[in-house]
Amino acid sequence: MTDTVVRASGLSKRYGSFTAVDAVDFSLEDGRIYGLLGRNGAGKTTIMQLLTGQIFRSGGQLEVFGHEPAEHADVLRRLCFIAESQRYPDDFTPADALTAAPWFYENWDAGFAQRLVADFRLPLKRRIKKLSRGQLSAVGVIVGLASRAPLTFFDEPYLGLDAVARQIFYDRLLADYAEHPRTIVLSTHLIDEVANLLEHVILIDHGRILLDRDADEVRGSAATVAGPAAAVEEFVADRPVIGRQSLGGLASVTIDGALDRDDRFAAAELGLEIAPVSLQQLIVHLTGHDLTGPTAEEEAA
Amino acid sequence: MTTTIDRPIAHTATRARAHDIWRIVRLHALKPSVFAGVPLTILGGAWAVSLIVGVILRQAGGVGDIDGMRYSWAVLSPQWYLAVVGVQVVGLTFSFALGFGATRRDFWLGSSLVFVLASAAFAVLIATLVQVEIATSGWGLGVHMFDALWYGSDWWLDFYTTFALQCLVLFIGASVTTVYMRWRIRGIVIIAFAAIALVLAAVAIVTGTASWPSVGAWFVGLSIAQVFSLILAVAAFFAVAGYVVIRRATPR
Amino acid sequence: MDDSRPLFIQIAERIENDIVDGVLEEHAQIPSTNELAAFYRINPATALKGVNQLVETGIVAKRRGIGMFVTDGARAQLIERRQADFADRYIRPLIIEAEKLGIGPDQLAALVRSERIES
Repeated sequence: MTDTVVRASGLSKRYGSFTAVDAVDFSLEDGRIYGLLGRNGAGKTTIMQLLTGQIFRSGGQLEVFGHEPAEHADVLRRLCFIAESQRYPDDFTPADALTAAPWFYENWDAGFAQRLVADFRLPLKRRIKKLSRGQLSAVGVIVGLASRAPLTFFDEPYLGLDAVARQIFYDRLLADYAEHPRTIVLSTHLIDEVANLLEHVILIDHGRILLDRDADEVRGSAATVAGPAAAVEEFVADRPVIGRQSLGGLASVTIDGALDRDDRFAAAELGLEIAPVSLQQLIVHLTGHDLTGPTAEEEAA
Repeated sequence: MTTTIDRPIAHTATRARAHDIWRIVRLHALKPSVFAGVPLTILGGAWAVSLIVGVILRQAGGVGDIDGMRYSWAVLSPQWYLAVVGVQVVGLTFSFALGFGATRRDFWLGSSLVFVLASAAFAVLIATLVQVEIATSGWGLGVHMFDALWYGSDWWLDFYTTFALQCLVLFIGASVTTVYMRWRIRGIVIIAFAAIALVLAAVAIVTGTASWPSVGAWFVGLSIAQVFSLILAVAAFFAVAGYVVIRRATPR
Repeated sequence: MDDSRPLFIQIAERIENDIVDGVLEEHAQIPSTNELAAFYRINPATALKGVNQLVETGIVAKRRGIGMFVTDGARAQLIERRQADFADRYIRPLIIEAEKLGIGPDQLAALVRSERIES
């Protein structure tokens, strides 16, 4: 038996003539790590703002912990969403933010927050508006982790963080999640680094859901077949193609759908190479401009 | 099998609500410079300038009470800054509080409480300094900074008028910003034009009915306390309007 | 970890490898789900799924309150399964490549034999 934390049906958000979220249906189950994936401007942040009651829906239904989230104090106290563009009061320092955090998060772990401050080498007394991009991200990551909120959102958490700091984030996240299971939503367009952390992925593009599947189902669900163009075309003839490249007489075609052992032998006998497609590559194919049309309006969000 | 979580919360709703509002007050108090430090510095600076002016006037040959300083407005110097504080409270602290899971309702109630408390504290300070200035004959220099304009007749009246003015300034700054947070620049423009249109309409009606003399007579007939009761009523209007507007406002 | 197959299968295979190689002996306790998750930097649910697959095939068994342990005969079972898979996994690709290069069966057998002797 699983508990549903979020249930959205036909959820929409329009800004004038621009539709940021277009009648999406999805649900989030308790205690899982979700990846909310998609390109910049795809609608990821808008969905998180809707789920956390920061903006109001234009249509559809939304329940978070059983209620409409906006202005519902009992729902909001169980959420933590430090937006990538989170604003802080003038002259606020990270120390101020960490002082205020326990007033808002009942599960706040001050000791954990202090350890994270040391891990990320965050200057506590520097004014937040003087922090580097990475230090600003660290503030959001520390609040998000130490809040231990039953539903925690991380919005592009790695921006400006160096490789070491990102690894620290992933490691602390996994370790703390193992001890204190909760629902976590990681919003990102850099997928490779977090792919292994995710239990479930929801891929958004143009405000619609392209993919809503367990990460393990997605992994290995696509493959790239490369070799002489004629042989490649023969092999992929009755398979769904999601990406195509060619170089002279050679072709490289990405297909949706797992290949079984017989498929692999058939390909080998045709002299074809089969390469795995990473989650990131798959998403590039699914959201790439070659298949989904012009993308200029995406930046409008 | 799937069920929707709706765990009851541990504490009672009323206690939680008071706590939710109080934490907004604490949030504002986290940076005491905003509501206390900066305005007090401005006031202290204005006081120092007033004393220096007094000394210069004295050296220029003046003796006794410098009555002209009653019109210096130095006592009101922190007001402009506090209007900006009202703007910042909604422009920045609102986004932060919402990000940390506060409701718009609790944010506005908590912020209003801070405005009222800060206004009251300022009113006590100013009204008391008026009395000190009178008792020391203008800090021994005949200077009038606090015992100026309408101030100086009665501690309670000075308290009441300062409190009303302070509330007005803070609530105007904050509630106008809620309009921006809800409807962005278009809302501000519409509100500004609506306000101008309202004033022009009032002027036109008064002019059209040739009732300027009676309006003038009504206004002159008001006591200081009545004028500031009007100001307090306007402040209350802005407080209520801000509450209504912020309930659907969205942070940037 | 590679991208061609579900992670839980890869986790199960790594543990199986350790058993075949003798790193994990029979009756030995295997790492906990959280240890596997932290070590491979994967979701604990994925690690659990991998371990559960080993439970289903009888390679490891749960001792309540203590953890997961390699079962009696797990190594033999794994070796038997891998022998069955050997032709598919290694011989067929070898033959396909050999045919591409024009290496006949006799020549191939000779190559295998000489490789064996040299090493």
